[in-house]
Amino acid sequence: MADDGLDPLIHVPTRLRIVATLAALPDGDALSFTRLQEMLELTPGNLIVQLRKLEDAGYLSSEKTRSESGQKTTVALTSQGRKALSEYTKALRNLLGGLQTEAQQP
Amino acid sequence: MNATYNTTGNNGNDFDPQQAAALLNQTTQQAKSQLEPFPPWLVAIRAFLALIGYGAIWLSVRGQHPYLHPTAALIPVGIGVGIVNVIAVTVVAQRATTGVVGRSRFRPVELAVAVAVWFGVFAVMAAMAAAGVSNGIVYGLYPAAAPLIVAGLGWAALKAYQRNWRQAGTSAAAAVVGALSLLAGPRGCWLVCAIGLFVLMLASAAVIARRQRG
Repeated sequence: MADDGLDPLIHVPTRLRIVATLAALPDGDALSFTRLQEMLELTPGNLIVQLRKLEDAGYLSSEKTRSESGQKTTVALTSQGRKALSEYTKALRNLLGGLQTEAQQP
Repeated sequence: MNATYNTTGNNGNDFDPQQAAALLNQTTQQAKSQLEPFPPWLVAIRAFLALIGYGAIWLSVRGQHPYLHPTAALIPVGIGVGIVNVIAVTVVAQRATTGVVGRSRFRPVELAVAVAVWFGVFAVMAAMAAAGVSNGIVYGLYPAAAPLIVAGLGWAALKAYQRNWRQAGTSAAAAVVGALSLLAGPRGCWLVCAIGLFVLMLASAAVIARRQRG
């Protein structure tokens, strides 16, 4: 954890967007890799790298399924990932609140 | 204290917390909007369709003493509006939940069952008319209230099972509107449904819009 309390794993623009997007789904729901890529407008390679980092940390889970149309990968935020995002949001709010307070001081 | 607020992110790039907060808000709103199967604009349009549809029926029967039935010309209009409604909901909801796996995924079969329930309810009307039940019930109270109560409760139960509490609540409220309309008599029931559904669906649209912003 960084000195300011912001989770360095989430505090990267791309990964922040990934986590925030998956958090919009109800707990337990997953999103296909293709749809996630389309929503975030990322290249497949870049998305895979970032997803792997988040998965290694336990923030998201992925599942591969085979269907008639081919292999499909879905990703979902784990409860650990949701908790991490919640704490990140709280830390961000505290940090920016502190920023505002300092700015108001003479 | 001279605190440093720029935080070094991946690859040594600075990612300012204020930028992070803005990005988080923007991404959250966009995701909620793109994944919402019933966007506020669609719900609002359906609210006006309900107001106009039920309202037109009320206008056609309010002067009838004794009560006969709604104007026959409204039937094909109602069916047409119903078909457009189903198609619009299916297209929008399916597009929004493309790639989603889980309970929030839109399943056309669920909507088909709801439509079938509506038709089933109306099929009973013929049997009631043949049995000599009064016009006020066959062509008034029953078609106004029964579809809302039966389909509303059924959809509410399904959504509650899927833990989609917002849709379950809205559907249950529609059933309540149907039940309340029974108190207004064969003419007034159409007006109660018109206004009740209009208010309910506009409120639902407002809740969805607020949720997307929040």
